[in-house]
Amino acid sequence: MSSDPDKLVAKADKLTKLTLTRWSADWRNATLNYEQAANAYRVAKKYEKSKDAFEKASKGQEMLSSPWDAAKHMESAAALAKELGNWNEVADLYRRASELYVECGRAQPASDALGKAARVVEDHLPDVAVQLYTDAISLLEEDDKDQMAFDLYRALTAVHIKLEKYTDAAAALLRLGLAADKSNATNSQFKAYLGAIIVYLYAHDVKAAEKCYNDCSQIPAFLGSDQGRCGSRLISAYSEGAVEEIKRLAQSSTISHLDHAIIKLGRKLPTGEVTAVKAGTEEGEGLDENDLT
Amino acid sequence: ALLFAALAKHKLRSRSTFSAQDPRARLSRRSTGGLPRCNTETGEMSVIDILTRVDAICNKYDKYDVEKQKNLNVSGSGDDAFARGYAAVDAEIEAALEKAELASKEKSKASTVALNAELRRTKAKLLEEVPKLQRLAIKKVKGLSTEDFAARNDLVLALPDRIQAIPDGSAAAAKQPGGWGPSASHTEIKFDSDGRFDDEYFQESEQSNQFRQEHETRKRRQDQGLEMISEGLDTLKNMAHDMNEELDRQVPLADEIDSKVDKAASDLKNTNIRLKHTVTQLRSSRNFCIDIVLLIIILGIAAYLYNVLKK
Repeated sequence: MSSDPDKLVAKADKLTKLTLTRWSADWRNATLNYEQAANAYRVAKKYEKSKDAFEKASKGQEMLSSPWDAAKHMESAAALAKELGNWNEVADLYRRASELYVECGRAQPASDALGKAARVVEDHLPDVAVQLYTDAISLLEEDDKDQMAFDLYRALTAVHIKLEKYTDAAAALLRLGLAADKSNATNSQFKAYLGAIIVYLYAHDVKAAEKCYNDCSQIPAFLGSDQGRCGSRLISAYSEGAVEEIKRLAQSSTISHLDHAIIKLGRKLPTGEVTAVKAGTEEGEGLDENDLT
Repeated sequence: ALLFAALAKHKLRSRSTFSAQDPRARLSRRSTGGLPRCNTETGEMSVIDILTRVDAICNKYDKYDVEKQKNLNVSGSGDDAFARGYAAVDAEIEAALEKAELASKEKSKASTVALNAELRRTKAKLLEEVPKLQRLAIKKVKGLSTEDFAARNDLVLALPDRIQAIPDGSAAAAKQPGGWGPSASHTEIKFDSDGRFDDEYFQESEQSNQFRQEHETRKRRQDQGLEMISEGLDTLKNMAHDMNEELDRQVPLADEIDSKVDKAASDLKNTNIRLKHTVTQLRSSRNFCIDIVLLIIILGIAAYLYNVLKK
């Protein structure tokens, strides 16, 4: 066998092509050839060719009904595509790989593949990344592996924050809380809730933050926890308009234990004007006085 | 006059030794009118007559008695009031001291008590006299030397001490009631300042201010230290929680690994056994020997054929 990858590829192609002489493609040999060629190309840093070879190898493996190997080859191909900077292709390849993993019945590597994909493309195609993350999370949740999803949730939140889609970020955090609740990870849950409150406050949506806090307070443990107390103090400081208090709370250790992205948000609090929410209460009183019915 | 004085002196001197001498004879020579006349008829004089005569003569010639004059001078002339007063006080102090000695010698307690009471009265009186004397001592008197004047002052000052020093039994008596004192007094709350709770007592002194400030500083420093400790503890708590969750996450993974590894192990065991069977079947010594024997036979046949063909 020649170690020349081109030749190998040619040979493998010949093996797979169905002609008159061949009635069935010889996938095993072809796959072998393809693999060798791909490795050779990778060493020679011919990423494009290597990628192609890997794709073909993967197809061969698929034909050989070993989806696991197929998936593995796909992943390699995708990594090479990343080197090429072909983001769309990267995403596609990784998706394919994850599907193959799912065929194997292995959810974890599938979501891992998607997670890798998302991480790669989040700088360039954030929306795609969001989609990838969501899919990865859903894969895990279907398989009842919620705990593995935490990291994905956090990454997803970071992407949303970068996109400045704060409601989405808060929603993601709340979903994180839910997942944590299912798996009894109270600390992560509370941290997620506090993170959501902070995100709302950063978006200067005090009402939403309050609502969020009230919702979360339904869980009695949250009220009594460090994070719960910190959240309540933040909300009260906002409603009083005490900027100093907010700044002091933002520096507190409770917030420093949260996720990095959220810490950055927290340090930037308070955003905009923190005029007290007294205006709203005054209106309420006015109604009471004037309304004699 | 000198001659007359000398004669008088002689007379006075001889008067002191006046006892057995015959006064009549001398008196008859010198006496003048006014004296009881002796009975010239009998020439005898009664003793009373003699004594009266002697007294009269003494009174007449008293002014020539030098010693007596000296005494009179010392005990104070009419002009010097201080000397008189001082002499009187002095005499009374001596009398009191004598009485005190008598009292100490007394056997009966009642008389002792009475004498002591009198002594105390005398002492009080004398103490009253002392200020008067002090005033007199300051006055300058004619013909008094400066040394005497200074001495007078010292004498007056020394008087009160001498008066107090007269033992009147009060010193000894004072000790007895002391034994009853403590048991009879009430136990009461003792205040440092004897109960004077006026404004000054509650006033902030510099010391108390300093103390309070120091207390505050120390408390602040303690608070700072405690804050640092609390932050460290927060971090530890967070890390512990995260570790807890991580371990929880890894428990099912570990279980999965466990089961998979078990399966693989059993698979391996099975495979090993089958392999052994196969190898035993294939490469058993009996088969091996048969293989070798057959090989030798084939070689033999080949050699035979070769030989045959070569010819």
